[in-house]
Amino acid sequence: MTSPPLATLSPESAGSPFWNKLTETMPREKLDALHLQRVQALCHYAYEHTRFYRRKFDAAGLRPSDIRTLEDFKRKVPVTDKSEFIHLQQERPPYGDTLALPMDFVAHHCETSGTTGVPLAIPYSMVDSVRYGESWVYGFWGLGIRPSDTFYFAFGWGNFAGFWSAYWGARRLGCRVISGGGLDTKGHIQAIQRMKPTVLISTPTFALRIAQVARDMGVDLSQSSIKYTYHAGEPGPTALPGMREQIEKAWGAKAGELLGIAEVDAIAPGCPLGDGVHVNEMNVFSWSMDPESGGEVADGEIGENIVTGYANTAQPLLNYRTHDLVRRRSACSCARTWAKFEGAVLGRTDFMVTVRGTNVYQTAVENILNQIEGVSMHYELVLTHENGNDGMTVRFEPEPSVTPEKWDAIAKDAGERIHQALHVRLNVVPVAPVTLPRFELKTKRIIDQRPKELRRALDR
Amino acid sequence: METQDQAKLLRHARELIAQALAGSELPQIEAILRNADMELHWALWNLGEPVALRPELEYRTTR
Repeated sequence: MTSPPLATLSPESAGSPFWNKLTETMPREKLDALHLQRVQALCHYAYEHTRFYRRKFDAAGLRPSDIRTLEDFKRKVPVTDKSEFIHLQQERPPYGDTLALPMDFVAHHCETSGTTGVPLAIPYSMVDSVRYGESWVYGFWGLGIRPSDTFYFAFGWGNFAGFWSAYWGARRLGCRVISGGGLDTKGHIQAIQRMKPTVLISTPTFALRIAQVARDMGVDLSQSSIKYTYHAGEPGPTALPGMREQIEKAWGAKAGELLGIAEVDAIAPGCPLGDGVHVNEMNVFSWSMDPESGGEVADGEIGENIVTGYANTAQPLLNYRTHDLVRRRSACSCARTWAKFEGAVLGRTDFMVTVRGTNVYQTAVENILNQIEGVSMHYELVLTHENGNDGMTVRFEPEPSVTPEKWDAIAKDAGERIHQALHVRLNVVPVAPVTLPRFELKTKRIIDQRPKELRRALDR
Repeated sequence: METQDQAKLLRHARELIAQALAGSELPQIEAILRNADMELHWALWNLGEPVALRPELEYRTTR
């Protein structure tokens, strides 16, 4: 008697173009009915389980039972922001009174990179981590990745949510996982040659960096085993068509991307058409807000993405400001009904830029410069793109009273402080007083010298 | 199989797990059963069925 052949999925499931056709193509009315039921449940849950939301609701004169429609939810539930959570976490580490579950339920701890000043602590329960991982799978599957594939993680794991959640997703899909944690770039190349994975997970700029180093070693990665590359953490092949071309050429592979927000979810896996991302509406309810008026913007117009996560039962996030500017569409020729963000994130409301995979906020750099004696208020941040990486140079005018022989020491001090606070090394260069441009109205601090095709759409 | 039929089977499976959970005195087995129930709850969620935000929030009625 012979055993039946072992298979991870039935032929019927394996042949599906969707990870879950039922929900990915669900009519809008049904999706919205589900969202209403789920945001109502979330309002009750957050109000009953966290002092933070009880205070927010009470201050707004709101009870969870007041939310009878999605419009009620958008208009009545106060928007929340990362800074509130960080403030409360600093008051009572690690999670302040934003935690909705007993600590025993916190199965995984991550942190943001802290580029706004202080890292945000992110607790995930086991349920949350399963849901978070699932979000990646929609994107993996849409790109063509299957359980027979092997993932290579070119990433030092640390506390970053992005690639832990990608790992949870690869596990859910049932793929083989190879960790490149701890290896340098050459080590990654050698590991890929030796173990022959088919999927590369990395930040998009690091994928280009690996390819560059491989070329220097005489290795052509377009001939390697990699069939797919998948990216998150900074603008990638969906947001930057020029980058897609470079990655796909260098790796001889199909490149995918998803939009993730560490504390929320891998909220929007890439559309198979490659021109945008679809909000995972099983995990997230989202709408677009005019950052000035607070009102909702219409479909097709650019607005700030406001999200509510169902995958954050440890630290609920309701009407959470992402500061990401997106153009939302309700229809897509790929047949998915989940909201689509054309070109992923088009820009930031707070002038964040990504340098070597680390988000750097203009305000964070300004805050550091402002603390350094001898640095004047006249400075600019110059963005460049060299060898596959974004870079930032801080050009500052020393105070006129500082003698030129002290300028380099001040620059070195500034560079060290930036590295210590933001975990990224920036070039800091003094320039002679009164050489930087002066502005009558808003000061233009960011000078973007990156090729246009490598910038987010609104930065071009 | 129709979605409603599949959902009905999943709910029945959760009822059986709840019974097994109620009689469990082995932490290993209880942990496995809770994990199984979490996955079934998640399956119902992804079929668009009306379930609670977390599986444990339903334990008062299913256990």
